[in-house]
Amino acid sequence: MSSSNQTDSLHPLEIQVLRALGAGSTESLKDPELVQSTALAPSQVSMAVGWLLTKQLVSQVSETTTTLVVLTEVGTQFQQTASPHEWIIQTVQAASQDGEKRTVKDLQAIGQFQPSELSRAIGLLKKEGMLTLGAGGSLHITEQKSSSVEALRWLLNHIHEGSRLLDSFSDDHQALLRQYAVKRGNTQEPFRIDDHTERAYGLTGKGRNLLPHLREDAAEEISQLTPELLKDGSWRKYSFRKYSIQLRPPRLAIGRRHAYREFLDTVKAKLTSMGFQEMRGELVETEFWNMDALFMPQFHPARAIHDVYFVKEPTHATRIPEPFLSQVAEAHKNGGITGSKGWQYSYDPERAKRLVLRSQGTAVSARTLASNPPVPSKFFSIARCFRYDQVDATHATDFFQVEGIVLGSDINFRTLLGLLKLFATEMAQAKEIRFLPAYFPFTEPSVEMHVRHPKLGWMELGGAGLFRSEVTVPLGVTVPVIAWGLGLDRMAMVALGIQDIRDLFTSDLEAVRNMRRKP
Amino acid sequence: MPTISIFQEDFSRLVGRPASMSDIEQWMPLVKGEVKDVSNDTGEIRVELQDTNRPDLWCVEGIARQIRSVLTGSQTPYTFFASRGRAKRRIQVMQGMETVRPFVAACASLDYPITELGLEQCIQTQEKLADAFGRKRETVSIGLYRLASIAFPVTYGLVQPNDVRFTPLGFEEKMTPHEILTVHPKGLEYGGILADCEHLPLLWDTNGQVLSFPPIINSRELGEVHIGDTELLVEVTGTDLSMVVLALNIFASNLADRGATIEPIDIVYPYETTMGKTVKTPFDMGNGQRVSFHAIEQALGMPLGAEAIQTALAAYGYQVKATRQSVSVKLPAFRNDLMHVMDVAEDVAITRGYDSFSPIMPQAFTVGALSEQEQTSDRLRDLMVGFGFQEMFSNILSSRQEFVERMRLTATEHDSLVEVDNIMSLTYACLRPSILPCLLRVEALSPRVFYPHLLFEAGEVARVDVEADTGSRTVLSLAAISAHPGANFSEMHSYLDLLMYYMVWPYDLEPVSHPSFLDGRVGRIHCQGQMVGYIGEFHPEVLEAWQIDMPTSGFEFEVITQKT
Repeated sequence: MSSSNQTDSLHPLEIQVLRALGAGSTESLKDPELVQSTALAPSQVSMAVGWLLTKQLVSQVSETTTTLVVLTEVGTQFQQTASPHEWIIQTVQAASQDGEKRTVKDLQAIGQFQPSELSRAIGLLKKEGMLTLGAGGSLHITEQKSSSVEALRWLLNHIHEGSRLLDSFSDDHQALLRQYAVKRGNTQEPFRIDDHTERAYGLTGKGRNLLPHLREDAAEEISQLTPELLKDGSWRKYSFRKYSIQLRPPRLAIGRRHAYREFLDTVKAKLTSMGFQEMRGELVETEFWNMDALFMPQFHPARAIHDVYFVKEPTHATRIPEPFLSQVAEAHKNGGITGSKGWQYSYDPERAKRLVLRSQGTAVSARTLASNPPVPSKFFSIARCFRYDQVDATHATDFFQVEGIVLGSDINFRTLLGLLKLFATEMAQAKEIRFLPAYFPFTEPSVEMHVRHPKLGWMELGGAGLFRSEVTVPLGVTVPVIAWGLGLDRMAMVALGIQDIRDLFTSDLEAVRNMRRKP
Repeated sequence: MPTISIFQEDFSRLVGRPASMSDIEQWMPLVKGEVKDVSNDTGEIRVELQDTNRPDLWCVEGIARQIRSVLTGSQTPYTFFASRGRAKRRIQVMQGMETVRPFVAACASLDYPITELGLEQCIQTQEKLADAFGRKRETVSIGLYRLASIAFPVTYGLVQPNDVRFTPLGFEEKMTPHEILTVHPKGLEYGGILADCEHLPLLWDTNGQVLSFPPIINSRELGEVHIGDTELLVEVTGTDLSMVVLALNIFASNLADRGATIEPIDIVYPYETTMGKTVKTPFDMGNGQRVSFHAIEQALGMPLGAEAIQTALAAYGYQVKATRQSVSVKLPAFRNDLMHVMDVAEDVAITRGYDSFSPIMPQAFTVGALSEQEQTSDRLRDLMVGFGFQEMFSNILSSRQEFVERMRLTATEHDSLVEVDNIMSLTYACLRPSILPCLLRVEALSPRVFYPHLLFEAGEVARVDVEADTGSRTVLSLAAISAHPGANFSEMHSYLDLLMYYMVWPYDLEPVSHPSFLDGRVGRIHCQGQMVGYIGEFHPEVLEAWQIDMPTSGFEFEVITQKT
């Protein structure tokens, strides 16, 4: 970039700061000196210096941190009237001159200071022997002088004249200042101790070279075109300051969909485009729909207290609709009308009513099967599910399962594989697929699909199978049904650059705003 | 899903041919297994087995047997299942067992001097079967004994808790069953199974020596097997006869595979069982059925033909007897998982390999659609995003503190929640009744994040509803908050008003009091004749409870769609 281009794009503030640094008799100037010599506001100077540092026209020469003590509003108040200690002494002495006594309660009742301030001051005065407690809690001032009270007064007066360096005080005074300085949790203190950093800046070689080229007519420039300038055409009289367009722009707070939700939106769109209808269910389900209808026997290990969340109140649903309850019960007991031998145990219809937090999206499919669905048809759900798991990087308190069913008289093992192959190409852009035998209590045959994802390599994409007759027939469905489920969270996490599943649902706004899908 | 340890050399011997790691990986689909881990130091291979209905596969012998069968094309039958006549040894079951732990099965294992590895694998199988299949020993538990020291007949009966003393495994001194339940680690772990029993189950021999106190612990004298022992007694007790017998069948087959001669034992009951009053165990339950070739072909979508189906089933271990239309199939005695013709069809597919079935792409035309709720929710989300709101997506299981206490709703009409009974932690104890607390949680955690904060979430909440069958309803809700120094009622009112305009939902605001909001700056939202939600400026006590230092206002309403 030529130096004329560079000077053109300088902001008037920058030009003033550069001139001040160039004119100075010394190599560098500190911020207060820059404020003084440019006659700009401190915030303007720091803004201009910031820009110039980025452009490497100015560099920071030194940095010194000093600790200053100033009076707070409370301190100014104390300085002008009295500190709590002084006020106590004055008030008790004034009373005793009138032959009266004052107790702590009396002092509190006056309301000049907070009870906590008073008790702290009284504590100090007692400790230093200036105050004693007499009969009935009356306060007495002794002959003893309190060194702290005197020191505080000296400090109040001294600092009132202007801020002071903390180091300029004796160790005792410094300790006292720290004790009576504003802290987090106690803002009602007379002093404030601030770290103050002073930086000195100087011109870089590049900055010095620019000096002769700086514009003289900086004041004639305008920075913002206005409606007025346009209306009367007066913009013709001015030149427009050139911007430093390579600086980072200011930040915006915008409206946006949540990145994980957006991912699920694309899944949803994909599934509807493939002819799937959305189904929905309830967060609170009965064991009947969550497990029994899916031919999971009531003694199944995954139904134990440590696998499912049970609802506290009410514990049981009022009813399970017929004929489904009886037909499912028969399927469990001896197969009933399903052509199966069943699990051969005594089914407990009361247990079927036990309420749980839905532990698998398949519960939604079970309810759909029982609703006399058309044939052929395809359904999906993106259902929030709950598992009794220790929450960690791979287990969230609740999570989404993407799954569904396909009903049709032409459904068989090979059409099941065909559907999974379609999912592999549509959902994971995978061309290589492996089908492996799997086990689910509600399907037979059962399949696990592994795909070679273009970026992630071999991964399990989902599980599926043909619903057992013990599931479909008791719910009134006589055609074969595919049940499928897709595990998309890992793909989502990789796409969003997330390692911990809990981050999909984070409450950290910055993280949510920054989350974006990788190309 | 059980995970077990196997060793390559042991496995190769059992399969009957040298097995490389890649062979093992390749064979795993035959048993629904997956190699999880291989230790190069010890040669240990960790295998996870998926099928909870095939306990015979939860051991190296069973895995090897299934693979051997497919590789050789048939399952060599175990002759001891066919043994006839009276057995050499007998276990007498006493009256009263039927109410405590009714069933027992046992066999003798001879001629196989048990090796260190063999014993380790036996113990692993014993544990996996008792734990996962036997529901932590409740329905099935297994014991191994030194057969040579036992004088038959053995009695399986009840004793008074303090009447007998014997030395349990793991201890030096004699103890009564009662003492074992109160002191012994196994007694403490499994004692719950016998919690309600006045009398306790015990196995003792004709000389009065105690074999074990099932399902808790073996005696040390008879029930501690040593490496090199050639004569063993295997015993299974439990509450479900077919499970007890199946567990023994698996164990007997395993020992036979390692070279043992199995001799059955007669179990004599004083009561009737589904297998008779005297049951010779191991016992082949003969699980089988007649299935039509057509049904299998239809399920698999492939005209395989009768012969191919028979070949596949025989290779997978079935006994098959075919006619023209159908085939009588019988499972080997160590399996009992055949309920339906589809179970047979799957085994055909597994034997032939899933990859041998070419996929058929779906043909049927169906119309895809989103639910009414989802469509409405999507429209609302689009509008909110257009208004400049960032969408949030929260977990919905949290605490009463967040949903009620911090919202100033304790002991108000708004304090009922769907709560979890068996909570793991108080932090995850309730379903959210509304979304606003989730958004306030975000605000509380993000005070240093660039302002303004305009946040919204559309999603499900669970409302207590005594009218509903389940005591609650899942409701679609939309909530939004605005947090910045100038946040107030009127700002949120503008957004709500615009939202309702575009949704064409005429609405009214009714001035009311609500504990979460400042009086005079809160309204109840009525829409389509129903009370659907609230809008207001959050009460400073609510903000303090969340430790939020920024003025915040918000609204939330239930999204009512026609089809809800």
